[in-house]
Amino acid sequence: MSRVILWAAGAVLAVAVPFYLEGFWLQAGLFAMAACVGAIGINLLTGATGQLSLGHAFFLAIGAYAYVYFAAEPEGDLGGLGLPTPLAALLALVAAGLAGGAFSPIAGRLRGAYLGIATLALIYLGQHLLFNAEPLTGGYNGRAVPPMELFGFVFADTPELVIFNVPFGALERLWFLGLAVVLVAAWFARGVLRGRPGRAMNTIRDHEIAAAVIGVPVGRYRAGVFVLSSMYAGAAGVLLALVFQQTVPEYFGILLSLDYLAMIVIGGLGSVAGAVIGAIFVSLLPQLLTRYSEALPLVAEPGSGGVSPAEAARILYGAAVVAVVLFLPGGLLGLAARIRATVTRRVPPPSLTPSPDSPRS
Amino acid sequence: MRNKPRTVTRAAAAAALLALAVASCASEKATGGPAATGGDGVKTGPGVTADKITVAMMTDLTGPYASLGKSITQAQQLYFEQLNHAGGVCGRTVETVVRDHGYDAQKAVAAYTELAPKSAVVAHFIGSPMVLALKQRIEADKLLTIPMAWATGLLGARAIQVTATTYDVDMINGVDFLVKEKGIKKGDTIGHLYFEGDYGESALDGSKYAAEKLGLKIFEQKIKATDQDMSAQVAAFKSAGVKAILISAGPRQAASLVGVAVSKGMDVPFVGSNSAYAPQLLATPAAPALLKDYYIMTGGAPMSAKEPVIEKLAADYKAKYPNDVIDSGVSAGYSAAQIVGDALKKACEAKDLSREGIITAHRGQKAWSAGYGSTQDFSVFDQPASRESYIVKPDKAALGGSVIYKEPAVSDLAKDYPVPVG
Amino acid sequence: MITFLELLVNGISVGAVYALIALGFVVIFKATEVVNFAHASLLLAGGFVVAKLHPSIGFWAALAAGIGGAALVGALIEFLIIRRANVAGHSVLAIVTIGVDILLVTELTRQIGTDVLALGDPWGDRVLHLGPISIAETRVVALAVAALLITAFLLAFKYTGWGVAMRATAEDAETAALMGIRLGRVSLGAWAVAGALAAVAALFLCVFPTPGLDRGTTFAAMKAFPAAILGGLDSTTGALVGGLIVGVTEAMMSGYQNELAFLGRGIGDVAPFLVMTVILLIRPAGLFGTRELSRV
Repeated sequence: MSRVILWAAGAVLAVAVPFYLEGFWLQAGLFAMAACVGAIGINLLTGATGQLSLGHAFFLAIGAYAYVYFAAEPEGDLGGLGLPTPLAALLALVAAGLAGGAFSPIAGRLRGAYLGIATLALIYLGQHLLFNAEPLTGGYNGRAVPPMELFGFVFADTPELVIFNVPFGALERLWFLGLAVVLVAAWFARGVLRGRPGRAMNTIRDHEIAAAVIGVPVGRYRAGVFVLSSMYAGAAGVLLALVFQQTVPEYFGILLSLDYLAMIVIGGLGSVAGAVIGAIFVSLLPQLLTRYSEALPLVAEPGSGGVSPAEAARILYGAAVVAVVLFLPGGLLGLAARIRATVTRRVPPPSLTPSPDSPRS
Repeated sequence: MRNKPRTVTRAAAAAALLALAVASCASEKATGGPAATGGDGVKTGPGVTADKITVAMMTDLTGPYASLGKSITQAQQLYFEQLNHAGGVCGRTVETVVRDHGYDAQKAVAAYTELAPKSAVVAHFIGSPMVLALKQRIEADKLLTIPMAWATGLLGARAIQVTATTYDVDMINGVDFLVKEKGIKKGDTIGHLYFEGDYGESALDGSKYAAEKLGLKIFEQKIKATDQDMSAQVAAFKSAGVKAILISAGPRQAASLVGVAVSKGMDVPFVGSNSAYAPQLLATPAAPALLKDYYIMTGGAPMSAKEPVIEKLAADYKAKYPNDVIDSGVSAGYSAAQIVGDALKKACEAKDLSREGIITAHRGQKAWSAGYGSTQDFSVFDQPASRESYIVKPDKAALGGSVIYKEPAVSDLAKDYPVPVG
Repeated sequence: MITFLELLVNGISVGAVYALIALGFVVIFKATEVVNFAHASLLLAGGFVVAKLHPSIGFWAALAAGIGGAALVGALIEFLIIRRANVAGHSVLAIVTIGVDILLVTELTRQIGTDVLALGDPWGDRVLHLGPISIAETRVVALAVAALLITAFLLAFKYTGWGVAMRATAEDAETAALMGIRLGRVSLGAWAVAGALAAVAALFLCVFPTPGLDRGTTFAAMKAFPAAILGGLDSTTGALVGGLIVGVTEAMMSGYQNELAFLGRGIGDVAPFLVMTVILLIRPAGLFGTRELSRV
């Protein structure tokens, strides 16, 4: 019951947000949503199956650039297919999945640290391609991202749209698209994790040989998860491209990959909720600190010397990773669960019907 | 199952609440006319109130261009402080807001989204990848923006003002200088070391154009910002028999290249783009090589220029930030702030401080000058504002680590050069 | 031909520096099976101490202090964080070192600020001429030091008590513990040694032909990853060979980029990773790495 109220409150909040918050927060929220989708993907791979990947940014890039290529009309030297945008977005997911599949000869053979570092190659190769395959990528200039158009509704600033006196620009419209994508992504990953595949994946993570002994097709699972996680990254890439409105090749570098790893450790490994919490934490922290740098002690305003907000955000973020592994096994999600457990032990549960999924999640 | 009816009630209640919230709309976002006319008869737009004009700076204080970002930001803060001291603009004081994006596109886009609705101008924006990413939005927002980058891809937008020369124009003037004064002849090969990305590749456009016109060959070496050791590149230049080397990379790469080449006995002149030098390098072992035969092409005056405006700036800057290095970022930032200040003053004269008013006032200036150096034409935006480059040379004793070697001049080649607008 | 030789020599000399960095990864991986992403911050810490101290106490004393300082930082990371980390797998520990790296690098770059710090080394920009080929003296020294250190480690792993304990731990940590090996001490030692190695590597990374230590120095550590892994993450010989392969590949690809323009310019940076990928496809544990056999 309390769960339903929570969900309803959440839904009301999520829908009301674009009516009240200014563009800055909407955009921060959209970046966080894209991060959620990407983090769920890498949590399937690294958190649930135990495969370290530093190449997540590469698959984000594939998603973003493939969407632009499929959706854009060819223009001058720049190629494009001019497909309807929803189809382009789907094909972008497929492209990211195929890229992940193409990597599977390596992903299937390498273990642990070796796989992690081998995926680094993807980042360097990816950036090289983004800068040099100009007819596809636009080179260092990047390319303009065609706005998504669903059933005649355009996710852009024009044509103008005013709902209840609030002007609905690209960010307000994308907010709802982002929400929908996150919900679908979370729902699907939850299904995977709770079902048979999820248990198989966890077994591979915990003991690969044992998994093979009990009949889990280890190689197939590892390759499959790699492809699935790449598709999640591709979806995040498409969403990011729509928010950015222009692709920026510099963005898809090693730091982005590291951010994603930090997200799942901070949030909680191996679960959807953990990925979401971590993604929100990592993407909103710098924005919050920058926005409120004037009001925070110890944080100096940019340009005035002292610890700047950007530095403070980096330090807090590094410290969060360390603190989580030292003191909070299970990440922020684990902390939330522990708090809930403490509270419910004191307060008798309001309803006798057990909710079907309360012990986990 | 006994939950069900209550769930429905709750959901209905929630929906009702939502509808109410939306309909009543206490939101500040509700539509209102952005342009208004204040009590003093001056039309105002976003970022301008009755007593305040907000100026944004989007800079890099924690990323690869931190040293440049710090100088530019502080110099601009100094300018606006002086401006306010002298009474401000239009009876309003100028308030600066600084956002550090650390050369990260996402943070830059976020900073822009935050500041754009409440700023009247962007006094400087570091990083052409970031400005390029936002080019369409800056145009749509009509927000006058001064990028601190000089790639040709930034031209062609009415709201974006690239100051003085672009990298390609600098390189054309540089090649012209090599031919006229450093004995490079038709048929010679010149090396060009450049960064991947718009900076290096803009510069390469210029050197290629000049080489074609003068009958020279360009031997290219493309590197990335993470490359630190230029030994392999020197070996390649040596084997190609280059007679001079152009550098459009970072200060570290320039120092490494020049250092290695000189120590290996390559006695050729080096010509760098304006971002290929930093005075900090003179404290490193690369100093003697840099002092030997290295020249930097730049559209802005160095801090050691014997001009009253620059001398006053140097003294004021030193007084305000006694512990900080003075480099070319100080003069570049200050003159960009002057451009902004003058645009605001002109807009005030026309009684229009709306975004459109500020841009119109700015673009109305055909011959703007900071009181020194080259004159800039702001009325065109698909051309560099100036085609005159200074040639400066590293110098240990000079303020800012460099002195003027040749006063600003435009070569005949650069005069006729058709700028590729991106 | 001369160009080829010159590029080869350059590649070998850069490779020596990569080998030193890679050796640091290898030592930690051998002892604890953790990939240390915080190695870049150890480099920065060692270099920073040398740069700050050499004007007052002279270069050699500063170098000793730098090595000691970086070793101490390494040991502290192990003692305060790695040892106490409450995690299941080694890949999570690797992510933890990313967190440590972010913390340390942010603070150190803040300290370095906008300066380029010289390390005050005695070699300066002198160049050794071997016929038509010339090579920076600093790089000759780097090569010698790398060879010396790697031999020393090979011997140490074989013959000293610490080395044997480390190999035993790497083989089977539980059994080693049962045999009376103090795992904590082995791991602490490995981190301290890696720190010391990082300081030595930082020295050669920041002297001529690069201008000095600044906030960009950490990027170089990334290039040592393919070096460490294509040699085999648990092999000291592999670190040397891997470093040299990466150095030579990079130098050749940059030097001949005009001939290789069809691959896209600037391939020099990517080439080490391509070589690494090919080698890993053939030998999944690197050239000299121990193969984990598991058959079901």
